[in-house]
Formats: sequence, structure tokens, C-alpha cells
Amino acid sequence: MGVSRLPSAALTFKQFLQRQKVLGIYRNMMKTIRQVPDQTDRKYLSEWARDEFKRNKNATDQDAIRMMITQANKHLEEMKTTLALAKS
Amino acid sequence: MAARVLQHCVRTLRLSSGHLALRAAVVPAAPLHRALSFYSADRRTRCVNRIPSLDVLCRQYGHLPPLTLESIEERVLYVLKLYDKINPEKLQATSHFMKDLGLDSLDQVEIIMAMEDEFGFEIPDGEAEKLMSPDDIVQYIADKKDIYE
Repeated sequence: MGVSRLPSAALTFKQFLQRQKVLGIYRNMMKTIRQVPDQTDRKYLSEWARDEFKRNKNATDQDAIRMMITQANKHLEEMKTTLALAKS
Repeated sequence: MAARVLQHCVRTLRLSSGHLALRAAVVPAAPLHRALSFYSADRRTRCVNRIPSLDVLCRQYGHLPPLTLESIEERVLYVLKLYDKINPEKLQATSHFMKDLGLDSLDQVEIIMAMEDEFGFEIPDGEAEKLMSPDDIVQYIADKKDIYE
């Protein structure tokens, strides 16, 4: 095996993709949260989302991260449906 | 580009605005309402298509001063200064969000969203993650809006 020129801290391709995904979810979540009408709720939710992402920032196990992504997507869906219901 | 064309139109219309304003005032309220909902579907393209008949139904758009590199930079820095995790004193046009300002990737996502709000267009994920300093953002926005020196 040839010597890699990448620094050892560089992400593997899979990790890189997962990172993208996580950031994408964060973006979507923030966008959804921004539509919450009440200001206090909005603040609370964005802090909650941020803390939740930060709490797991040192996770390295790929399967664990995949589970978390699924969980985050579930939360996002739930938030979206609740918002849609609240609006209708 | 479409925005340019529109801006030009508005400017030329301004010259004869007295005449137009009079006309707009004469147009009864009902068609105006219909026009509003009609336009909201896809404002920009519809408007460009409708320019020839502008004298019939006149909807006046806000006239913004044209963007320049300086004004973009000013607005970008202004938004960044208002972001609570950035120390305004340390902020410079070239400072790297993570290395110099000590932000994390989540903050960067939020900054890009704030920029989208400020300038009113979407920045796709792939390009958003490359924008790591105020300068990058200014450059990116200028590219998107066709602004050069």
C-alpha cells in the first residue's frame, strides 16, 4: 500500500459523506424551526437542536452515526408535520 | 440577469412616473387584487413576460440601489457582526470562521443561512461549505449576481 499523502486526521470518503449529511440535516432543521411562530419556542428548539448535535460531535462509530441520522430525520419529520398541523 | 432587466425597466418607468401613477390610481381595486395573487406564483418570470403591457397594470417594485462589491461586503460584515458568537472586534474580511473566529461547522451553516436571508437567494449545500470567510461570501454573492469591478 502506498503512503497516503493525506494528513492522518483527514476524513475517509464515507465519513465525509456522513458529515455532509449531518450538516444538511442541521440546515433543514434550522429552516423548519424558523417557521415556528412563537419566539420563545423557536429559541428553545434551535438551542435544543444545537445541543443535540453538539452532544454527539465526538461520535466516530459509523453505525451509531447512521442511527443518529435516522433519529434526526424522524424528529425533523415530526416537527414538519406538527408545524403543518398548527398552520392548517 | 432578469433582475437587471427589471431594474432598468423600473428606472425608465420612473422618468414618466407622474403619468403612470395617475394611471395606477385610476385602475379599480378589484383587478389589482387578482393581479397580486397572479403574480405571487412566479414573480420574476411573469414580470419579464409582462413588461410590454406594464402600462395597463402597473405594479411598482421596490427600487433597490444596484449592488456593488463594497455594498455586498458591508452587508456581509454587518450580518456577521450581529451574529452573537462572533466578536466584532476580531472580525476581519479575511478571517477564517473556524481558525480565526473559533466557530464550528454548525455556526457556519447558520451564517450561510443568515446570508441567504439577507440577500434573498439560496446557496446550495455543496457551495455553502466552501464559504469559510467573509471574503469568500462576498466573492460568491458577487459571482451569482453578476457583479464585477
